[in-house]
Amino acid sequence: MNEHAVETSGLGKRFGSRWALRDCSLNVPEGRICGLIGANGAGKTTLLRMLVGLSRPSAGEVKIFGQPPSDTEPFVRDVGYLAQEIPLYRRWTVADHLTFGARLNPDWDDDATRERLYRLRIPFEQRVGTLSGGQRTQVALALALGKKPRLLLLDEPVAALDPLARREFLATLTAAVADGNLTVILSSHLVTDLERVCDHVVVLNAAQLVIGGGLDQMLASHYLLTGPSRDLGALERDHTLLRAERTPRQVKAWVRLDGPLHDPTWEVTELDLEEIVLAYMGQSSPAPAVAEVVS
Amino acid sequence: MTWLLWRQHRLQAAIAAAAYAAFLVAVLLTGWHMADIYHSALVTCRANGTCDELNLFQGYGAIVDVVNLTAAVPLLIGLFWGVTSVGREMDTGTHVLAWTQSVTRRRWLAGKIGLLMAAAAVWGAAVTVAVTWWSKTPNSYYADRFDPGKFMIQGIVPVGYALFAAALGLAAGAVIRRTLPALAVTVVGYVAAQVTVSNWIRPHLAAPLVSDVPFDQQNAVPSGSWLLRQDIVLHGKAITSALSLPAQCAPDRGGNVRQCLADLGYRYVVHYQPASRYWPFQWVEFTGFVALAAVLVTVAWFSVLRRDA
Repeated sequence: MNEHAVETSGLGKRFGSRWALRDCSLNVPEGRICGLIGANGAGKTTLLRMLVGLSRPSAGEVKIFGQPPSDTEPFVRDVGYLAQEIPLYRRWTVADHLTFGARLNPDWDDDATRERLYRLRIPFEQRVGTLSGGQRTQVALALALGKKPRLLLLDEPVAALDPLARREFLATLTAAVADGNLTVILSSHLVTDLERVCDHVVVLNAAQLVIGGGLDQMLASHYLLTGPSRDLGALERDHTLLRAERTPRQVKAWVRLDGPLHDPTWEVTELDLEEIVLAYMGQSSPAPAVAEVVS
Repeated sequence: MTWLLWRQHRLQAAIAAAAYAAFLVAVLLTGWHMADIYHSALVTCRANGTCDELNLFQGYGAIVDVVNLTAAVPLLIGLFWGVTSVGREMDTGTHVLAWTQSVTRRRWLAGKIGLLMAAAAVWGAAVTVAVTWWSKTPNSYYADRFDPGKFMIQGIVPVGYALFAAALGLAAGAVIRRTLPALAVTVVGYVAAQVTVSNWIRPHLAAPLVSDVPFDQQNAVPSGSWLLRQDIVLHGKAITSALSLPAQCAPDRGGNVRQCLADLGYRYVVHYQPASRYWPFQWVEFTGFVALAAVLVTVAWFSVLRRDA
């Protein structure tokens, strides 16, 4: 049984007359690490805040493990969140934050959390305000993981980290998911960060959902076709054309194959995640906002 | 949740306790001393048969100032406890951290507000108990506890002010979500409320009594009353400019000036709230400020829970 950790339909958020996110329907199956990709201002934070219940949708609905977000104990126990600003009590020590986590979370895993921070050589008796940005992020992540949520939402967690700290952070995350019963959604504007750890991808562009689905399936269905110049109508009838580049003699087409490709005159090249994302973002009009669900 | 409240506010509690302890020592020592001086002075003047020109408490300027300054205690509670309680957390974003632990927002907010209001009530009460006790002697000596400056620091009203100021700071912080503007709004709002009440509302809580006597007679205003207006009135019109003596009453004529003015129709009119209304006024004003506090707490509650984080 493949339950969905996150399910949204027609989800939208409006600030004044501006839509920060609109008509977003997506599913994230349980147990995934889902990368949420989009340029700055694409609506990533808006989406995450609605998932965790910190902000209310202007349109559509959200379901987390089948239930809409609510100010009830079962919901707040299930969902962890790490905001982009990494809010911590700056005057408290790291140890204070661990006590905070233990006192406010019935499922708190004290040993694992201490172990995690100890391995990273985070000084327990130091005030959080005096730690480096990377260390603070690690403390906040440890706090979020120590709570043992079933769904963890991380908003641009690696943005402030140097490459080494980034690697440690992502390793911590992967290990936690491997330990079981955890679904993670983490956002970033850098595809390369996510490609390493994610098995599910959601792409937002200009407040709209571009594509979402399993990474493997996405890689297996998106190709670059190169061939002699021709009319692309036949191709568009069977498949989804994302972007095309023409020279007088040659045409390049970035496509999502929606079935077998019958025309043998195309030269087919595989795409990596970044190229796929760029192909979608280069579109003048986004593809229909329907996420693929991989079972 | 209890631990979180304690950890976040223990420093404030310690500072408040230390400040109160120092204040209490000063109040107790001077209070006892003043009572002593006053009683021995009364004994002396009973023996002499006259109590004029006692001139007591000359060296007491400092403690009198400190006691009068307790008028600012509610405002300090509003600024340091009210605004920081929720507003500063929303300013620095730490409310998001608290709200994504396993405690519901409603419980977090109820704990925050409960602690704030309890602390405001306890601290406000502790200060007014000390001030009211200390003021027993000066109250008997000067008979001025109904004057606005004294009324607001004694009895039960300071507790109402403390609750109101705390709720004002809380609501300003919760609605504005920025510390500095919330502090400014709290100061302006609190001062405006105090000025409005003591100038335009308290004098009219009950219709003032009027003492209207010929100019040569003593007013029958009970000691300890709050004098709202004192006028010299001629033919029903209050004399607002400086009184120029009519020629026939000039002192060099040798007659009694007051008697002469009285004969010409001059009267002395006092509007006042009698001393007997002191406690009813205290309770009415206390109740009013508690009601305002309740409204502000409700505003804060819905502003936090109904709006996006």
